Amino acid sequence: MKKIIKNPYLHFVLLGLILALVPTLAKMGLMKTSYLTTLGGTFIFAIAALGLNILLGYSGLISLGTAGFMGFAAYLSAYFTADLALPFELSIILAVVIPTLLGILVGLVSLKIEGIYLAIATLAVSEILKKTFEEFDFFTNGFSGKTAQYPTLLGTFELDRAGTYYFVVAILILVMLLTYNLMNGRLGRALNAMRGSEAASQAMGVNLLNHRLIAFALATMYAAIAGVLYVHFVKYSYPTIWSLNLSLNFLAMIVIGGLRSIYGTLLGAFIVFAVPDLLLKQVPFFSDLSYVLNGILIIVVIIFYPNGLVHMFTDLKRFIVKLVKGEK
Amino acid sequence: MQNNIDGLVLKVDGLSIAFGGLKAVDNLSFDIKENEVFGLIGPNGAGKTTVFNCITQFYKPNSGDILFKDRNGSVHNLLDKNVHDIIKLGLVRTFQNVELIRELSIIDNVLIGAHVDFKSNILDQALRLPRARKEEKKYRAEAMRVLSILGIEDRADAPAGGQPYGVLKKVEFARALMSNPRLIILDEPAAGLNDVETIELSKLIRRLRDELNCSILLVEHDMRLVMEVCDRICAISFGKFLAVGTPKEIKENKDVQVAYLGIEVDENA
Repeated sequence: MKKIIKNPYLHFVLLGLILALVPTLAKMGLMKTSYLTTLGGTFIFAIAALGLNILLGYSGLISLGTAGFMGFAAYLSAYFTADLALPFELSIILAVVIPTLLGILVGLVSLKIEGIYLAIATLAVSEILKKTFEEFDFFTNGFSGKTAQYPTLLGTFELDRAGTYYFVVAILILVMLLTYNLMNGRLGRALNAMRGSEAASQAMGVNLLNHRLIAFALATMYAAIAGVLYVHFVKYSYPTIWSLNLSLNFLAMIVIGGLRSIYGTLLGAFIVFAVPDLLLKQVPFFSDLSYVLNGILIIVVIIFYPNGLVHMFTDLKRFIVKLVKGEK
Repeated sequence: MQNNIDGLVLKVDGLSIAFGGLKAVDNLSFDIKENEVFGLIGPNGAGKTTVFNCITQFYKPNSGDILFKDRNGSVHNLLDKNVHDIIKLGLVRTFQNVELIRELSIIDNVLIGAHVDFKSNILDQALRLPRARKEEKKYRAEAMRVLSILGIEDRADAPAGGQPYGVLKKVEFARALMSNPRLIILDEPAAGLNDVETIELSKLIRRLRDELNCSILLVEHDMRLVMEVCDRICAISFGKFLAVGTPKEIKENKDVQVAYLGIEVDENA
């Protein structure tokens, strides 16, 4: 029984079920319907942030191009479904594979030397992509933005907003599960080893270039998945969304939530994207300050919880256990 | 390939490497027999670690050959190999300053030593297919076995960060043993250990030689350990060969005494 309760897969599924309750709660009037959009968006950003966590948290490499790759996938999927009228399933595959291949290409050039060059290369590629989104009107519709529809699954099931929300939650849980499996097996250990000591990992047979590439390809793939989901959930894409600012927000999410923590990433996404929307913007004075919050939070977190706010729960648990035991 | 290394596991022949104008290792030759504990000694800056790094291909030497015989008896020239392919041949090293991952548990650190033995691909791992699960289980059991040989199996799930130095050294040992090596290269294993731990270490080194049937190449400053545990010793100074022989021969060798004690007037002293 205890084994079942501690099963990590069960935790993921439970989390998914809880998150899937939101549309019902909204329908019952217990929650504003606008929360649905905010939360769905948060989960989409969490997927991209999970990819960045594989890259930064586990492998110790930095990318500043998450937003660029995410935007690329978003435009691709919008173009495939709206302009070329491809089925949703095919367009999601293409829109994920193409940016991932571009990512591998960028990785091949920049990862041979040292990790830090990846940050420079991804920043450059992401800026080029953003410029492309602005200028290539026939493909991106320029500054007026590209619109897309809610996904139609298998050509018959047309999803509405709540349906797309369920779809996003399902993909989020799936991605969390796969990430958990990967990071707790051979690949995760190799990436950890690479971050811990390049010399030792090489001596143990870890091919550095290969593993840097795998980590970066995974990060790009996650960003692309998030991009596709974004464009079909929010239903539009503007060039200004996919800026360096967003890439830095992804960094903020994993630093605040927790490096190398799957739940921490989700927590970070919630704090960075949902809290300003749900709470701060309701209070007149704080509404303008919401963007200062990330900076302050990062400083506070680094001082008190250098491994992320997710570790606050462990401390809290320990504190409660101590309190309960102390009273007895 | 060359069959001239009967009874040997490693043959270093005419090894030279220069950094800029400085010859760190100059035409050095020595060989290590099967089931032998071989010591490499020399004063600070003699180039011992450079020799290590050349053997394990962290540095590419300017000239010379390094021949290694793997478990199947075939001979490889290590210079043709990539640094991450060395361990596959059965040659593994430890580091002077323990190089472990603090955030991982001890057993996960040890499992990194089996990295090249895993056959499952990324998809197997992502979906936890039976193949990946079986492999993970098999090597986890193997890691526990190695940890219990070293007497630290009770700490398997504790994070490596924060463990005492002696334990960390053992974990690095265990990680090296996971690859079932034919030759283990130990870079100053006694550094930072107390007397009791050093005695334990010398027992362990002999056990590895006798029970696991492998050779050991040792770089060490602790002369008591070197003299006690080594079958043969090679002494070098400023990258040049001085002498090779049993511990007794090395102790009595004039050149070695000069290099270590500076009996002759030495302007660098």
